[in-house]
Amino acid sequence: MNMLQVLNEKAGLVFPAISILTGLALANSIDPYLAYVATSWVIFGLLGLSLDIVWGRGGFLSLAQTAFYGLGGYFGSVAAINLSFVFGSSVIWSLSVGMISGALIAGALGLIIFYARMGPLQSTILSYTFTLLLWSVSQSFKIRLGDAVIGGDNGMSGIPGIVLAGGTEALDPKGALTFTILVAGAAYFVTYKVMTGTFGRVIDCVRLDIQKTELLGYDVRRYQVLNFAFSGGIAGLAGALFGAWSNYLNPSIFSVQEALLVPIYVLVGGLGTLAGPFVGAIAIGGLSFWLGGGAVGGQTTLILGIVLVLLVLFLKNGVLGALRQGMARLLPDPNEASRNAGAVSIETGDLEGILQAAEEKEGPAKALSSAGLLKKFGGVVPVNDVTLSFEPGKPHSLIGPNGAGKSSFLKTCVGLYKPDGGHVTLGGEPITNATIYSRVHTGMGVKNQKPQVFSELKVRDNLWIAAFSRLRDKRQAHDVATTILDMLGLTEQADVTASALSHGQQQWLDIGMVLCLAPRVVLLDEPAAGMTNEETRELAKLVRILARFTTVIVVEHDMEFVRTLQGHVTVLHQGEVFADGDIDQLRADERVLDIYLGRREHV
Amino acid sequence: MFKVSNATGGYGKTVIIRDVSLQVGKGEIVALLGRNGVGKSTLMRYATGLISPMAGTLEIDGRTAPASTAKRVRLGLGYVPQGRFVFQRMTVVENIAVAAESNGHDGKASVEAAFEDFPMLVPKAKDLAGGLSGGQQQILALARALAIRPRILLLDEPTEGVQPSIIDEMAGVLKRLNRERGISVLVAEQDLDFCLSIAERAYVMEKGSIRLEIDRDSLKADAALQHELLGV
Amino acid sequence: MEFDYLATVLLSSLASASILLIATIGLAVVFGLMGVINLAHGEFLMIGAYTALTATQAGVPFLLSIPIAVAVTMAIGAVIEILVINRLYGRIFDTMLATWGISIAFYQLAVLIFGTVTPGIGMPQYSIKIGDYNLAGYSLLMIFVAALMGSFVYLLMTRTVYGMKARASIQEPAMARAIGIESSRVNTMTFSLGCGLAGFAGAILLPIVPATPSMGFAFVIKAFLTVVVAGPVTLTGSAIAAIGLGGGASITASFLTSVAGDVFFFLITAVLLWLFPLGITAGWRRKM
Repeated sequence: MNMLQVLNEKAGLVFPAISILTGLALANSIDPYLAYVATSWVIFGLLGLSLDIVWGRGGFLSLAQTAFYGLGGYFGSVAAINLSFVFGSSVIWSLSVGMISGALIAGALGLIIFYARMGPLQSTILSYTFTLLLWSVSQSFKIRLGDAVIGGDNGMSGIPGIVLAGGTEALDPKGALTFTILVAGAAYFVTYKVMTGTFGRVIDCVRLDIQKTELLGYDVRRYQVLNFAFSGGIAGLAGALFGAWSNYLNPSIFSVQEALLVPIYVLVGGLGTLAGPFVGAIAIGGLSFWLGGGAVGGQTTLILGIVLVLLVLFLKNGVLGALRQGMARLLPDPNEASRNAGAVSIETGDLEGILQAAEEKEGPAKALSSAGLLKKFGGVVPVNDVTLSFEPGKPHSLIGPNGAGKSSFLKTCVGLYKPDGGHVTLGGEPITNATIYSRVHTGMGVKNQKPQVFSELKVRDNLWIAAFSRLRDKRQAHDVATTILDMLGLTEQADVTASALSHGQQQWLDIGMVLCLAPRVVLLDEPAAGMTNEETRELAKLVRILARFTTVIVVEHDMEFVRTLQGHVTVLHQGEVFADGDIDQLRADERVLDIYLGRREHV
Repeated sequence: MFKVSNATGGYGKTVIIRDVSLQVGKGEIVALLGRNGVGKSTLMRYATGLISPMAGTLEIDGRTAPASTAKRVRLGLGYVPQGRFVFQRMTVVENIAVAAESNGHDGKASVEAAFEDFPMLVPKAKDLAGGLSGGQQQILALARALAIRPRILLLDEPTEGVQPSIIDEMAGVLKRLNRERGISVLVAEQDLDFCLSIAERAYVMEKGSIRLEIDRDSLKADAALQHELLGV
Repeated sequence: MEFDYLATVLLSSLASASILLIATIGLAVVFGLMGVINLAHGEFLMIGAYTALTATQAGVPFLLSIPIAVAVTMAIGAVIEILVINRLYGRIFDTMLATWGISIAFYQLAVLIFGTVTPGIGMPQYSIKIGDYNLAGYSLLMIFVAALMGSFVYLLMTRTVYGMKARASIQEPAMARAIGIESSRVNTMTFSLGCGLAGFAGAILLPIVPATPSMGFAFVIKAFLTVVVAGPVTLTGSAIAAIGLGGGASITASFLTSVAGDVFFFLITAVLLWLFPLGITAGWRRKM
């Protein structure tokens, strides 16, 4: 690695550190009025950071950040007004109370949003209605809490400034700016640490493919709620700082204009960059300051509106995103290796070793069975009283005409659909109503039809995140990922971004991720779809070996592939079990030919 | 009838097909064979004008095709894409009618004609297309393409994910339409069996170019070639 | 007396629900058909209102000023679609942010051109008496206007070739072209139609809601929530949601305070979204 590569790796630490030092130096040399105004820019940047955590990393555009910000401000300020005398410091109270209340409220809202399984648009709108509700309620909400008076649309005044310790004297503008930069910097570095660690990696996976993340055994909704609470905490912290800065709060903090300014900060700076929102807030704050200072008169709003449109159209990645892309152009292309990849060839010995090790660690294969399983969609009954049992030893194939209910049956077993009747057991344990991730922990491995890989993650990290879900140990996960990487023959592509792989290679990577889970029963939905014939042959080999160690269930259309599996075949028709046997028996069965196979004698 | 000359195209700056030339005569059914990712679908999209060409020309009925996809359709270019792409939240009738009306044909008459060709769609007439099974959607996509009254029909992997009995039906209808209405067909496929049953001639693609042109009997006879090219 | 009061409240609430529906339909068309959340919808309403106002001030009869407002908003809508929206189809949050940018730019332009305070126009003074209570005739007329507008859009979209083309173009743009539809032109038309409906709403509501630069903000939030609550079957869903949310809020407001009305609106929206995560019509098998 040369200097540039190291710099690129550590850009999220180096440049913010330099910026903070520069900011601290400037804080003591600029005009006090500018220092006073600039403090608010840093606070808005912190608010932007809170959105970037949940939107840029978590993938959920929350319009409730100003609600947490406002509530954090109100709660923090009430605490500061009443309790400052205790340690002679206002900020100890306002910042901690603001942060905690923001986190708790966001966590509670997150429970509702994420557990209701809303669509992305509806989640955004719900977060927005939360802000709107606060906005309308706060207009007429009047209460006296100790010395603090919340006066509806008259707002709350008398909020103490930043008093560090032992007194009543608040910091002057320069001191306040210095303090704010230090707090924001600390919040940034904590966030950076969290987001580059294991938690952040899982959050990235949730954003990229939430279903796959759950199929790897992660309790995704818990991660989403925690992430949202974290962002709420940062927003609340920013709100408390804002209260101390302006000494006054009113309901306009919950207004539509405020709520929609936050995404602008994030977009200008660069979505998902964490440091970007600060760049955005300072750029927009600076622009307004300059425009408001008489350069163009009172047309700031007009210009901001146009800037927003242009940004969305032309600078999707924001300032930092553009810089990062520029830097990437100077570095060697990490995806170069994807072009030299040959056809996949399974190392039989390696595979057997992996499966043996998995068996030793996770126990013997488990049977999967369904009894009277029923699934309805309106008048359609894709799964109608299906009783089947899958045992280890030989691969099981499920075939049937389109709409026979094969995939629906599989999805009901996996937990993607909730059954309307009947039971599912895994290794004797009832799992009918278990969550998907707990089924995965019980030993279920699922590969869907389309390759599900985390496109922005490296190949190795894709495998690592799968292995980590089971082992909960970084080193062990690394070892398992490496073994699987070798088995798939993808060692040279370890550092390639998964999206750079070909469709076929992504299928293999996905299968590799399932193997990292050391599943005791494996469900494969049309695994051969879109594979070349060579790849299909390798896949058949893999499935046959796999079936010696675990229970394997394959839903397939490709009859040739089903035949090469040499396993047991069940035919589904109109949601019911129609016939059963090996492929040659079924080919000889007139009824099956009628409904499914056809006669292959074209007109 | 339908002629592609020196076609070069792809997505963004990536070239997927390079210097491809082929033609389909009047009333001819021609197959386009090759493995996944050799550029069959890209060639199809090139012909419809859905991707902008880097080089090459297209002739339909002796006339140079215009750049706009919609205008090519007016010249008689019908297209059934891989993955069907029916209009999900429109009924079966609307899917067919909108195609007919957009080309100045009577919607009602076209729907009736389609139902004669594909009786399996009749009970589904008022259903939203998104609720149909994969095979039914495939038939609907074919009926929709026929509603524009094409002279050349481009089919991209029509058998993918479709149960064998419907594949047989589809092959039957295609042969009949070809015979009765003289529609030319270019079909990109991996299902060799299906192709051999309807096409007289085939082009085999490899790495974005035409590797060879072969008639049905030679291909049928040459097991080694089949194996080498298609991995059958 | 009791009955008179109740009837008055119900009728006036139905009128406010209708006003909400009138303001919403354009947004429903654009969102339901094109998947575009047009946050500038309220500003098109405002442009419609100012156009009608300027026309009446110039001596044009009020009824004639309405088609002028529709024409102006449709033209502006078409330009916006060509310059901005058509590059963003399928990117729902990007369109939200871009149209929000357009919204605040239009707002500021209106402030620059018209100032922040403008006179209303004289409201046609018919009123209807129920017992001791007076109801403004023009507000009641809005119930019929809403019904008329809803039926017009429904028939246009389900019974005409244009309607089919419009739905096809947005569901599968590439495929629509491949069956001979000039889909980008159709999309421009649909967006412009949605803006025209907003312009119509702004003009027809002018006697009740005076033109101000910020009138858009007031409308767009509720209109927007109505459409999202409605879900995929946009038109029917929006009508139901408008009556439920708008009517309910208005009833609440007449018994309590206007803030309570707003709280009702937002709270019920939140509850409905929680109960129907994909909108109240998510399970319906209807086209519009």
